[in-house]
Amino acid sequence: MNKIVKFYHEMGSPPSFYRITGYWLKPFFVLALALTVYGLIDGLFFAPPDYQQGDSYRIMFVHVPAAWMSLFIYAIIGVCGLIAFVWRMKVAEAVMMASAPIGALFTALTLLTGMLWGKPMWGTYWDWDARMTSELILLFLYIGVMGIYSAYDDDPRKAARLAALVAIIGLINLPIIRYSVEWWTSIHQGASISLMGGNSGIKDWSMLRPLLVMALATKFYYLYSMLHRARNYLLRTEQNKSWVMRQLTEQ
Amino acid sequence: MGMKFWVLLQRDVLVAWRKKSNIYQPLVFQLLIVTMFPLGLGAGAQTLQKIAPAVVWILALISTLITLENIFKDDYEDGSLGLYVLSGLPLPVAVLAKAGAHWLTTGLPVILFAPVIAVLLHLPGYAYGVLMLSLLMATPIFSLLGTVGSALIMNLKNGGMLLSVLIMPLLAPVLIFGAGAVLETTLGNNPNGHLALLAGCFVLALTLAPLAAAAAIKVNLE
Repeated sequence: MNKIVKFYHEMGSPPSFYRITGYWLKPFFVLALALTVYGLIDGLFFAPPDYQQGDSYRIMFVHVPAAWMSLFIYAIIGVCGLIAFVWRMKVAEAVMMASAPIGALFTALTLLTGMLWGKPMWGTYWDWDARMTSELILLFLYIGVMGIYSAYDDDPRKAARLAALVAIIGLINLPIIRYSVEWWTSIHQGASISLMGGNSGIKDWSMLRPLLVMALATKFYYLYSMLHRARNYLLRTEQNKSWVMRQLTEQ
Repeated sequence: MGMKFWVLLQRDVLVAWRKKSNIYQPLVFQLLIVTMFPLGLGAGAQTLQKIAPAVVWILALISTLITLENIFKDDYEDGSLGLYVLSGLPLPVAVLAKAGAHWLTTGLPVILFAPVIAVLLHLPGYAYGVLMLSLLMATPIFSLLGTVGSALIMNLKNGGMLLSVLIMPLLAPVLIFGAGAVLETTLGNNPNGHLALLAGCFVLALTLAPLAAAAAIKVNLE
């Protein structure tokens, strides 16, 4: 059997998923920690201040990676939801449900850091700008996925299938929300407050570097945290299976 | 297939008609809430006129929202939902019949009642046509998405709040285009762009929502 195909099949089975990912946890954690420490020190002390915003732009090194993660994790949840719903793979269910709270936290972090930055820069914590509104609706999508799962707590398989369905529906909705909300603000003639509209502008490398490092750090943190949760999820939902007994008695 | 579809639709309309509170409750609710606006705002006609497009729309939305929970709940509890599945009628078509009946008994009264609310909020006269047209396209979307939400929560005791959380993100674009169309009209602009997008949302909901609701029903019944 092809090595990649073999790996794919191993990752699809809860016992081997549990065994293999056990080796990954520590490296991912160390990488996440090291990159966070490096990225924050670089971003907070060595990156030059912005010519308009001074030092307050530095919250970007947390805000932008968190915003990226909030969308990235929802995409993962949607894809895992599709796999879980169509092929009923338990590992996909585990990854989906393990990702949801992390994604929701990154979304909340994005909103929080954005608000903290908004007060000194825009003079207000909140404005119904397209980006903020879509991010807030993204948080509702996460809450919906977690809410439907916890509502059916007596039957985890069914709960996961329904949560997968909600995630898939939300995935279809994601681009609609983003565009419609853009049209909506264009009607309202909102102040042009998107000073940091994406990373389209050319950035100083010494500013870009901590941002990219922090983006990597959040990726590794996500992998570490998600795998940890997914492993626990599998232990809990498969608790009557013999591999769980073996796993727990060995340790 | 067509026969069974009409039988199911007729049955649901009849059930709703026999229990008339189902039909007038959303309207009474709208009337109660719209009374709160002048009381709370303490404002004259001008302020009300400004917020009228949004308020009429949000009231139509919320008053429909409170009825959605029960689309499948009774059928699930008395077992008739299992019979729909066994009837040979494709489940998405059965869902379409349920959505149609819900629209006839909730959406249609809401549309017909909207001018009353609009008068109370001093909506300019020339915006009524667009208001009715936008609601005519949007209330079926409420019913269709409602089948999805209701199918997801039908065997939960207090699923109403969860249902709102689940379908609110889906309804946000509908509200934006619908209320936007009315707002544009009151500002003297052409609402056609918004109405076209609303029609697009309607087609999307018509094609996808029955499939999603059928999938949720199957998971819940297995």
